[in-house]
Amino acid sequence: MVKLLTTDARKRVLTTAAEEAHRRGDRRIGTDHMLLGLLHEPAAAKLLGVGLDDARRVSSTLDRAALAAVGLDAPTLDAPLPVRSRRRPPFTSGSREVLKRSVDEARAVKSRHIEARHLLLGILSRERPDPAAELLAAMDVDVAGARARLKRPAN
Amino acid sequence: MTPTKIFPELVSEDPAAGLRAVGVLHRLAEQVEAIHVELARKQGWSWEQIGDALGVSRQSVHAKYGK
Repeated sequence: MVKLLTTDARKRVLTTAAEEAHRRGDRRIGTDHMLLGLLHEPAAAKLLGVGLDDARRVSSTLDRAALAAVGLDAPTLDAPLPVRSRRRPPFTSGSREVLKRSVDEARAVKSRHIEARHLLLGILSRERPDPAAELLAAMDVDVAGARARLKRPAN
Repeated sequence: MTPTKIFPELVSEDPAAGLRAVGVLHRLAEQVEAIHVELARKQGWSWEQIGDALGVSRQSVHAKYGK
C-alpha cells in the first residue's frame, strides 16, 4: 500500500480551518470551516473564483437569514473570541467524510501525498444540506466546473 | 400540543434554516460567554463564581478558559 504523506498545504488548511471554527465560536471543525481554510490558499480561491472575505460575508448572510426564518434578530459577531480554547476542536462527521474522501482522491491519482487539492475535491463532493455545499451554492460557485479543472491532469 | 402552537414565531418550514439558526445561537452563546468570562476574570471573579453563574462546574469552566 502506498504510504500517504501529508503536505504542508494540507496541514496549513487544517490549521486555518480550526482557526475559522474558533473565530466563529463553533465547537467542531465543519466542512464550511474547511472550505474557509482552503480559501486562505490563493490557488484554491482562484480556482473557485471567490475570496475568503466573500465567503465569510456570505456565510454571515446565511446565518442572518436562518435566524430571520425562525423570527429572531440577533447580532452575528464576526470577531475572533478573546479567549482561546486550548483544545483543538474535533471534526464534524461531514468533515471526517471529506478527510476520507481526500485520501481516496489522492490514491486515485497515485499521489503519495494528500494535498490541498485533494481536500478541495473532498469538499466539492459534498451535497446540500452540508454547510460547505450550502456556502458554495450561495456564492454561485460552479462546483462541477471546479471539480473538472481539478481533475484535469495538468501539472 | 405542537411546537407551532407554543412558539409560532420560532418555527420555520425549512429545517435547514431552523437548524442553522440553532447553530448561530450556539455560536452567539459561546462568543458572549468567552467575552464575559474574560471580563469576570479581569474583575477578580474566581473560577467557582464564574462556574456558578454559568451553571457549570468550576472545573469545566477552568478547563475551557484557564491559562
